[in-house]
Amino acid sequence: MATWWKPAVILAVIGLAVFFVIPPEERIHLGLDLRGGTHIVLQVDTDSAVEYELNLTQTRLGQALTDRRISYASIVPIDPTVMEIRGADPGRAAEVREILDLQIGNWAIRDLGSGNWRIVMPPEVRQYIANAAVTTTLNTVRNRVDQLGVREPIVQKQGLLGDRILIQLPGVEDPERAVDVMIDQGLLEWKAVTYPPGVTDFSRWSPPTSREGVLAMFGGAIPDDTDLYPEQVNAEDGSVITLWWPLKRVSVVIGNDLRNAFRSEDQFGQPQVSFELTKDAGNRFEAATQENLGRRMAIVLTARNLKSVVSAPTIEDVIRDQGRIHGGFTLERAEDLALQLRSGAIPAKVEILEERTVGPSLGQDSIRAGVSAAVLGFLAVMGFMAIYYRLSGLNAVVALGLNVLLLLGAMGYFAATLTLPGIAGLILTVGMAVDSNVLIFERIREELRLGKTVRSAVDQGFGRAFGTILDCNVTTLVAAFFLFSYGTGPVKGFAVTLTIGLLASIFTAVFVSRQMFELVLGRGRRVESLSI
Amino acid sequence: MFQVLIDTNYDFMGTRRIALTISAVLVVAAIVVLFAHGLNLGIEFTGGTEIQLKFPHSPDVAGIRSALGRAGLENSEVTRIGNPTDNEVYIRVGRGAGDEGENEKARDIAVKGVLDTLRPEEFKDLEAVGVIDLNTKSQSDIAAKLLGVPGLTEAQAGELASNILERRREIALFTSLDELADIPGMTPDALAFLRKQATVGPFALRSQSYIGPAIGSELLEKATWAILGSLAGMLVYIWIRFQFQWGLAAVIALAHDSVITLGLFALFGKEMSLPVVAAFLTLIGYSVNDTVVIFDRIREILRTKSTMSLTEVVNLAINRTLSRTIITSGLTWLVVVAVYLFGGETLNPFAFVLVVGIVVGSYSTIYIASPILVFWQSLSKRRAASSGSTGQAARRSAKKVPSAR
Repeated sequence: MATWWKPAVILAVIGLAVFFVIPPEERIHLGLDLRGGTHIVLQVDTDSAVEYELNLTQTRLGQALTDRRISYASIVPIDPTVMEIRGADPGRAAEVREILDLQIGNWAIRDLGSGNWRIVMPPEVRQYIANAAVTTTLNTVRNRVDQLGVREPIVQKQGLLGDRILIQLPGVEDPERAVDVMIDQGLLEWKAVTYPPGVTDFSRWSPPTSREGVLAMFGGAIPDDTDLYPEQVNAEDGSVITLWWPLKRVSVVIGNDLRNAFRSEDQFGQPQVSFELTKDAGNRFEAATQENLGRRMAIVLTARNLKSVVSAPTIEDVIRDQGRIHGGFTLERAEDLALQLRSGAIPAKVEILEERTVGPSLGQDSIRAGVSAAVLGFLAVMGFMAIYYRLSGLNAVVALGLNVLLLLGAMGYFAATLTLPGIAGLILTVGMAVDSNVLIFERIREELRLGKTVRSAVDQGFGRAFGTILDCNVTTLVAAFFLFSYGTGPVKGFAVTLTIGLLASIFTAVFVSRQMFELVLGRGRRVESLSI
Repeated sequence: MFQVLIDTNYDFMGTRRIALTISAVLVVAAIVVLFAHGLNLGIEFTGGTEIQLKFPHSPDVAGIRSALGRAGLENSEVTRIGNPTDNEVYIRVGRGAGDEGENEKARDIAVKGVLDTLRPEEFKDLEAVGVIDLNTKSQSDIAAKLLGVPGLTEAQAGELASNILERRREIALFTSLDELADIPGMTPDALAFLRKQATVGPFALRSQSYIGPAIGSELLEKATWAILGSLAGMLVYIWIRFQFQWGLAAVIALAHDSVITLGLFALFGKEMSLPVVAAFLTLIGYSVNDTVVIFDRIREILRTKSTMSLTEVVNLAINRTLSRTIITSGLTWLVVVAVYLFGGETLNPFAFVLVVGIVVGSYSTIYIASPILVFWQSLSKRRAASSGSTGQAARRSAKKVPSAR
């Protein structure tokens, strides 16, 4: 019998396992439940992305029309995928058409006559926007996480529809700030104020504290091209009041126009955010500030799904491509806002589905508890096997030890993550793997009792038990499969350890254990008795 | 040979009626408990927030409860967990509360609200002027703070922050700033700085979880499907390897195990979580092993001993595999008992399912799955009335015949 290759295979497998397991602290990745950290699942609201895109398009079209000096009354969103341009100079319809074709050529564009245009976002564009929103959100979140300085973060898509984002932040125990920074849309817009009729002191005018107040100033209805945006300000008595600003829908400058943003200090040492605009936006900004000299312009920030006015400075100079935002920021807030502006806006509403934080001390305790349970479990199983099956039991003990080694090696190779349930899976695997050894040994004993020779009892024992072992493992693997498809995070880790452990157990209990018997029984030696 | 239960010849099938009665009673009792008691669903399934805090000394649970009540979080559940010496408290807010629109707000209120409520005013005042709490801040925040120490480089600050965290990991929380003195990398300047710019909060955050209500119902649904799916998977596999009726018998036994275990789980008021569902799936995968081993043996004996009745064959098969059944179940049981006793708070409910389930599973293999086989065989025998001998009918149903016709 040319069986030299069998021990060679075993040695090679052991060698590989050892290679992938050493050094363990690098090879075995601990899950957040063991090492401590924050795990977050976000849901990207793709409907809101469509709305957002419509908002951007509105601004882009308005800006393009203004750039060509085509006058228009307003651009009004009708529903989430439809908007209308109203009162564009009818004499320049061809130019309007040209701009629309250039900007949004794949949308349905209808000339309603007399300078009115209806623009409809087709379903395929909608779909594209929805997909792109998730990708952009993913990249932006990743960007922000990187800038927060978290080590080894994981940011990836998740979920059947691919509209969820999984974020893992090892070592982050105080996730509130990280979460706030990560999921705020961080869209910045500069908007011109629509002054109510009769206002003369443009630089010092301040809006009313209620929507009704604004409406009254406009005589019952605000103009088509205008919307109301709230600003929270501290009143002198310390209470917080809300001012309602009437602002133009079409923004002068929008977040994507920013080239850079950073925290700085004003002349009084107060934190502020400085930004630089791209060339195009700079040109636009220059024209807009020129036009609005002595008037106020509002800085609107979308944060936490809410648009609100951060501040509304009076334009005193023509500004080209650099500006500053004051808003009574704290140092931290200024830093975070700059980070968000720098990393780009998130083009959709984002909701937290799940947020878990495990402090490292709990993780440490879990490791301690898990490891002590594992060691005790191993000792109990191995002790029993050695006593009950004597030398053959030792054979099983070696096989089980190897099983654990292979399991850890495979985890190292696949860069799988060991979680607390994963440790339970590891312990359980040992309990289950020993089943194969017991099946074989009981079978061998049975054959021996029937008076067979050691040689044939061993052969029959392994042969007959094999089918049963296979059946047992397949059924457990079926369960593990459902476990894997069902589970998230730690439970998946459990399914992974269980699956790898069972596969390894077939190898160790059937193949390796057999070879150890062959060491004793092989080479035509006659063996009279077996220690089993 | 050191052995137990060799050449046993218990008449398992003879006592099957008593066993089936006991099982029926247990299943009914489990279902009654499930309806009467209800399952204690964890926040993963209901949505909500849970927070685990560690205090330096015995926490005032009633005080925490009333403080939360005053802050408008009166539906919070506050319990002590772990050993009494651990001084740990588990707080759960908003069981099933909050519709989806309120989601984020609920989260903010719950997490920030609980921590704010429990943090004394003087700490909030300190925090407002930039003093950091060494018991709750992350490493990066502490490192950033340490940059203010004169003469400390950025690398040294990072190193020191990491060492402070390392110490906190060991002792879970600082009770006084004096405990910082012997941390490696601590300089007199840094210590003096921290005495002014840092404080030790009244508790440490051990863990904190928020689950939105949307994901909760989704997970519950997924859990149900996973369990049904794995039962169906077992049915199909045993059908392929044996026969449809055998698969059905095995699945009935598995359902029996799951229901009884679930009933006990509810009775003991253990909390249903994702790892617990995992434990049930594992139980299904494990418990079927015993059944497969006995079925294998039944088939083997049927092939060789043509004169025996199916009842005798089943009895013989169970007796022959009895020592294996007891040894392997016993060993796995030892292992899960170790996890139950020493595996810590998180794994405890998980281990509970397996500790109970393995016992029930071994029993059901012998007293549920196998008797059902005999029952079906006698049923088909009655139906087939005069068509041939009993032995043949048994073998026909036992051997792997692709199609009966």
